[in-house]
Amino acid sequence: MSKDVVVDIQGLTKSFGDRKIFRDVTLQVHQSEVVAIIGPSGVGKSTLIRCVNYLHPFDQGTIRLLGHELRGGERPSAAVLQDIRTHVGMVFQTFNLFHHLSVLDNIVLGPVEVKKVPRKQAVERAHELLEMMGLTDWAKAYPRRLSGGQQQRVAICRALAMDPKVMLFDEPTSMLDPELVGDVLEAIQRLAQQGMTMILVTHEMMFAKEVADTVVIMADNAIAEMGPAKQVLENPQTERARNFLARVLRNTPPADIPQAVVGGDPD
Amino acid sequence: MHVAWLYLGPFLQGTGVTLELTIVSTVVALVAGILGALGMIHGGKILRAVLVVYVELVRGLPPILQLFIIFFGLTQFGVQLDAFSAALIWLMVYGAGYAIEVFRAGIQDVSEGQWEAARSVGMGYFTTLRKIILPQAFALMMPELTNFTVLQLKNTTFVFFIGVADIMYQAQQGAASTEQPQVMFVMAALFYLVLNGGISRVAALVERRLTAYR
Amino acid sequence: MSLFSIWGQYFPSYLQGLGVTIELTVLSLALALVIGFVLALMRLSKVRGLVIVATVYTDVLRAIPVLVMLFIAYYSLGAIGIKLSGVEAAVLTLGAFYGALYGEVFRGGISGVDPGQREAAAALGLPPSSVMRKVVLPQAFLAILPPATNRFADIIKDTSLVVTISVADLMLQSYQAISATYRPMDMLGLAAIMYFVVYLLVSRVLARWELNVQRRRS
Repeated sequence: MSKDVVVDIQGLTKSFGDRKIFRDVTLQVHQSEVVAIIGPSGVGKSTLIRCVNYLHPFDQGTIRLLGHELRGGERPSAAVLQDIRTHVGMVFQTFNLFHHLSVLDNIVLGPVEVKKVPRKQAVERAHELLEMMGLTDWAKAYPRRLSGGQQQRVAICRALAMDPKVMLFDEPTSMLDPELVGDVLEAIQRLAQQGMTMILVTHEMMFAKEVADTVVIMADNAIAEMGPAKQVLENPQTERARNFLARVLRNTPPADIPQAVVGGDPD
Repeated sequence: MHVAWLYLGPFLQGTGVTLELTIVSTVVALVAGILGALGMIHGGKILRAVLVVYVELVRGLPPILQLFIIFFGLTQFGVQLDAFSAALIWLMVYGAGYAIEVFRAGIQDVSEGQWEAARSVGMGYFTTLRKIILPQAFALMMPELTNFTVLQLKNTTFVFFIGVADIMYQAQQGAASTEQPQVMFVMAALFYLVLNGGISRVAALVERRLTAYR
Repeated sequence: MSLFSIWGQYFPSYLQGLGVTIELTVLSLALALVIGFVLALMRLSKVRGLVIVATVYTDVLRAIPVLVMLFIAYYSLGAIGIKLSGVEAAVLTLGAFYGALYGEVFRGGISGVDPGQREAAAALGLPPSSVMRKVVLPQAFLAILPPATNRFADIIKDTSLVVTISVADLMLQSYQAISATYRPMDMLGLAAIMYFVVYLLVSRVLARWELNVQRRRS
């Protein structure tokens, strides 16, 4: 594998009982590349990126990252798992901030518990991150006091506090009210500009076109098409990709700023 | 283990007493519980206050103390109850206190919309209650009601202390005369296990019928 | 003799009895919490054997009256050579029984925590024990608190069963006072007042505390 490949997914297949989630997914993510995965609901986009930090096990294929190799049907050792999860940041659709901890403690928990960073240093770093996200005033608040958009930006801070090598975003804006989507997307865009390697499951077509280097369209439980963002979105080569895009773009209001696509993905 | 066989007769007699106490007190407590719950939900201020105090007293005082008050305490005012009556009255009073809370929660779990819908077709209060609210509430409450009946059965054990000849009493007599408590009390435990298993089985059947509409 | 002078005369022995009642309550509660926590972990584990053992334990203990268990612990065990004092038998019985109830309470609280919270903690690289300690348990705590305090109040009441095996708790003190004074209602009344005050203190103080914890977190 070439030197700057950060995540190398080969022939990944996963089923739930009889139900195939996806099959034979092969995908390489390079240093500082932004990969956006799009596609209709229920094709396993979220499950795919959850396999990368092994929140979900998979049946066949391999994922190589951070010098480790995860193999289908084989549970990695606790040490490997922890190393991967420590260096792969994840942002969830439902934010999943820890309700019982203040905003600050949400961000500090990982570095202190896992990386054994002195608390004082972790707190300083947390304040820096909050400032970057424009959330300075909320450090002491409990998560449920915050709007969805603010919670999601705290969740991004929480992931960044671990100094991840790769960031995974699982539909980060699909639970947000339309007017709150912009702030979160802006934060993600800034990360992209700073050179963060990212895999992003999203419904925001415009955003994908603008920010992603590579777009992957998943349909019928497999990759339908993959390539440079503009090319795939403007001039798709496969029938399935064309069908999907035609259906989605009909529903997307024309806009130059990123906007929420009508309807969220329940999976 | 012939000692166990020897005492099977008395144990079965005791079972009769235990079941009589359980069934009669449970039925009375449930009816009182429904009325009390309605008083709590729809009654006036004074009625509600009285009911709250009643429930708190029943729940706040040790069961055996309540039984003693009814059996021994009342004698100070010239009320001499025989042991069985005292036991039955206590089980009713005690059960009702718990049943009120069970029904209050159950009735309030049925949505307000059901009352409104019934009223809108011209049903009166008690008709609505009987035809609409209680059937749904019962279905919702089956797990709690099963629990309640099991609790009533377990509470009957306290009455041996004032000399009512229930299972517990027979076990104690047996233990004293055979000097084999390891047999008698384990046997009592098995009897209660079987009886409670029976209650759960019957409750499961009733629940299946009540929730058929879902 | 007036009501109050007779109460005054017996008050010291009642207080002594109350001390025994509180001692029984605290010891039983401690044992029950430990047993309950272990049972909850067993039932939530993926090891089939542990799940079965914990489930059978819970179902059996909930179906047998506490009084029967107390007699088994005190008389039956004694007859086969395991002699326990009244206090030991009572603590063992109440701890075992309320352990089964607390096991259910804890299990409900823990499994009620949103799975997304575990996922997020795992995704940060927290090892399973830290996920439990730092994220799941603190959140389960809120859901566990109200039913747990209810059970606590029930333990206080159930300690009165030791009157049947002659442990000198508040209940036995009042029972003995009856035969000494022939004024059953007066003597039971004083015990009732004392039990009720403890019950109110426990349920109100704990309720206040619950409210504070909840407020702080929302």
